Amino acid sequence: MSAVDHGVRPGLPRWLGWTAVVPIAFLLLFLAYPVVRLVSTVLGGGGAAGLVRQLQSASLWQVAGLAAGQALLSTALALVVGLPIANVVSRYRFRGRAVVQALVTVPFVLPTVVVALALRSLLGGAVPQGLLLVVLAHAYVNLAVVVRIVGAQWSQHDGSVEVVARTLGASRTRAFVDVTWPALRPSIASTAAVVFVFCFTSLGIVLVLGDPSTRTLESQVLRQTSVLLDFPGAAATALVQLVVVSTVLLLGLRAGRRSPARRVRPVPLRRATGYARVAVLGTAIMAALIVLIPVLALVARSLRVGDGWGLDWWRSVASVDAGTTRIGSPLSAVSLSISYAAVTAVVAALVGALAAVAVLVPGRTRVVALLAMVPLGVSSATLGLGTLLAFGRPPLDLRGTWLLVPIAHALVAVPIVVAVVAPALRTTDRRTLAVAATLGAAPTRAFWTAYGPVLRVVVVASAGLAAAVSLGEFGAASFLARAGSPTVPVQIVRLLGRPGEQSVGVAAVLAVVLVALTLALVLAVDRLGRSARRSPVGA
Amino acid sequence: MTPRLEVRGLTVGHDGVAVAREIDLQVAPGEIVAVLGPSGCGKSTLLASIAGVVPPLEGRILVDGRDVTGTPIHRRRIGMIFQEPLLFAHLSVGDNVGYGMRRKKVDRRQARERAAELLAWVGLPDFEHRHTDQLSGGQAQRVALARALAAEPAVLLLDEPFSALDAELRSRLAAEVAARLHDAGVAALHVTHDAAEARTVADRVVTMDDLTR
Repeated sequence: MSAVDHGVRPGLPRWLGWTAVVPIAFLLLFLAYPVVRLVSTVLGGGGAAGLVRQLQSASLWQVAGLAAGQALLSTALALVVGLPIANVVSRYRFRGRAVVQALVTVPFVLPTVVVALALRSLLGGAVPQGLLLVVLAHAYVNLAVVVRIVGAQWSQHDGSVEVVARTLGASRTRAFVDVTWPALRPSIASTAAVVFVFCFTSLGIVLVLGDPSTRTLESQVLRQTSVLLDFPGAAATALVQLVVVSTVLLLGLRAGRRSPARRVRPVPLRRATGYARVAVLGTAIMAALIVLIPVLALVARSLRVGDGWGLDWWRSVASVDAGTTRIGSPLSAVSLSISYAAVTAVVAALVGALAAVAVLVPGRTRVVALLAMVPLGVSSATLGLGTLLAFGRPPLDLRGTWLLVPIAHALVAVPIVVAVVAPALRTTDRRTLAVAATLGAAPTRAFWTAYGPVLRVVVVASAGLAAAVSLGEFGAASFLARAGSPTVPVQIVRLLGRPGEQSVGVAAVLAVVLVALTLALVLAVDRLGRSARRSPVGA
Repeated sequence: MTPRLEVRGLTVGHDGVAVAREIDLQVAPGEIVAVLGPSGCGKSTLLASIAGVVPPLEGRILVDGRDVTGTPIHRRRIGMIFQEPLLFAHLSVGDNVGYGMRRKKVDRRQARERAAELLAWVGLPDFEHRHTDQLSGGQAQRVALARALAAEPAVLLLDEPFSALDAELRSRLAAEVAARLHDAGVAALHVTHDAAEARTVADRVVTMDDLTR
C-alpha cells in the first residue's frame, strides 16, 4: 500500500466513496436540524438569559437528581443479578446453556411498555407503584445488556491467570479481586454507562409503573409539551438530558477502550463439578425463571376476566369500544404499528446499509462508527420534540402525514443496522474481490460478487431488527403519533391511564400481541443469521 | 531424606475419565526432573492435579512429607509456569513479580526491592516499571519465572514453558532457565515433548510410561 493511498481501495467501485452522502444527509435533515430547532427554541424565549432562567428552575434539577438516583439503583441491581448469570452462561458448559442464553436476551427486545405491564401484572398487587417497581423493571430489561457485554469479555478471559495467582498464594476470593475483576472492569464500566443512560432516560416504564418520585427528564419533557404546553421549558429539560447522556456515554466509551485485547484463540467452556455444578445449574434455572415469570403473568392477565378466566378481552380487539378509549379498535392500532414497522425497516435498512458499506473505504471507518453512535446519544423525547418543532409547523409541516413516526423510528434503528452490517462486511474475505476482478469483472460487478451475498442476508436481517424496534418504540411515537391513530405501545399506555378492568385486560392483549410479533421477528432474524453463518460465502 | 515432592499412585483425568493411571514419582530437594511424553498422554493433567487445579481421581500428593491432596491451591507451596506467561496485564512487571510476596504479607517496599533483584537475576534489570505488553515472548516468560520463584515455592512445575517460543530462543532460554533453577536450588518438575529440551534442563529424565505402574 502506498503512502498516498486515499480514495477507494483498488478493485472497489468508485461510487462506494459516495454512498455515505445519503445517511449524512438523512441525519442532517432529520436529526441535526431538529436538535438545532430545539436549541433555538430554548434560546428564542429570551436569548441566553432565557436559557439561564429555564436552567434555574428548581424542579428541573430535582427531577434530574431523582432520575440519576433511580438510574444508579437500577444499574446496580442489573449488575448484581446479571453478573452471576454472565459468569455461568459465558464460562460453563451445561445442558440448556443455549436456551438460557437466548432467554436472557428476551427482556431486552421486548417493548418497554410491555415489560412495564408484565411487571405490573406480576407484582401489582404486592408492590405499590413507585421506585421499587421501576427499578425492578429497569433491571429486568437490562439483564441482557450485562450478560451479553460483560459475558463476552468474561468468555475471553483465560482462567489460567487465576490459577497462576492461586499458585502464588492467593485465595479464591483474592484471585477474583486481583485478577478477574481488573480484567472485567472496563466492560463492566461501559455496560454500566449504557444501562444508566437507558434508565435515566426511561419513559414507558416510568409512566406505567412510576409515581412522582420516579419522574425522569424524559417524562418531564412529555409533560411540559403535552400538559403544560411549556415548549421553552421542555427544550431546556431535553438539553440538560442530552448533556448528561452524552457525558455518561463518552465516559463509558473511554472506560471500555481499556479492555484487554481480544484473544485469537477462544477459551473453551468448562464443566463444573461438585458444589460448583449445583451453583451453575441453580443460577441458570434462576435466570430462566426471572425472565419467564413476568411474561407468563402478562399472558395470564390477558385471560383474567373478573374472578375467572376467559377470552373476553381477546374477542373485543376488533371493536372500537374495547378498552374505553374510543379512538379506534385495538386491531387498527396493531395494523398501523405493523405498517410503520414496515416503512421503518425499509428506510433504516437502506440508510444504514449505505452508511455501512463505507467501512470498506479506507479512512471512512471512523465516520461510519460515528454515524452509528450519534443517534444513540439523542433520547427519544429529544428526538420526538425536536421533530415536532422542526416539521410540525411551516415551512415544512408533516404533521398531517404519516411520515413523522417512521422517520423518527428509522433514526433510532439506523445505528442497529450499521452495527449489524458493518462488521459482516469487514470480516468478508477481501480476496474474493480480487478473484472476481482477475476473472474480468468490472469493479461494480466484482463488488456484488464479493459482498452481494453477505449484504443481502445482513441487510434483510437488520431490517427485521429495525421493524422490531419500531413495533416497540414508545418515546418518539408518544410525541408524534396523531391523537386518533396511536401505535400499539402508545395505545397500551393510554389504556393503562384509564380506570377499569377492561382497559387493563385489553392492554394486556395488545402487549401479548406485541410480544408475539417481536419474538417472531427476532427469531426469524436469528435463523437468518445462523443460515448465513453456515453458508460458505458468509463465513 | 524426605523428597520435596512425592506422588503416590495418582490417577488423573477429567470428568471421571482417567488419562493417566497410578503414577509414582519423587523429586528430591534441588532436583530437576523432566517428564517426557507425546501430547495427549496426560502430562499437563498430571501437573494440574499436583498443583490442585484438577482434583485427582485417586492417589496422594505429598510436599515435604505432608499430604496436600485436599489442600487448596494457594496453600500447597507449589509454583507453576505455563506455556504462555499469563502475566497480570493490569500490573507492572515489578508488581507481577512481587505478587506472591504480597500474598505472604511482605510489605510493599520490600517486595519491590526483591522483585527488582529477581528481575536483574533473570536478565531483565530495570524492567520493574515496564508495562507487560512491552515485553517480547522470551522476556515475558522470564518475568513469569521470576514471579514464580519470588513466591518461594517448595516445588516448581513447568508445563512446556518454551513451546510457544521460536526454536532458537527456545534452546537458549531452556539452558538459561536450567542454570537459574540450579542456582536457586529449587526442586522442579518439567514436562515437555521435546527430548533435547528435557536433557538440557533436567538432572533426570523420565517418560510417562516409566511413571505408571
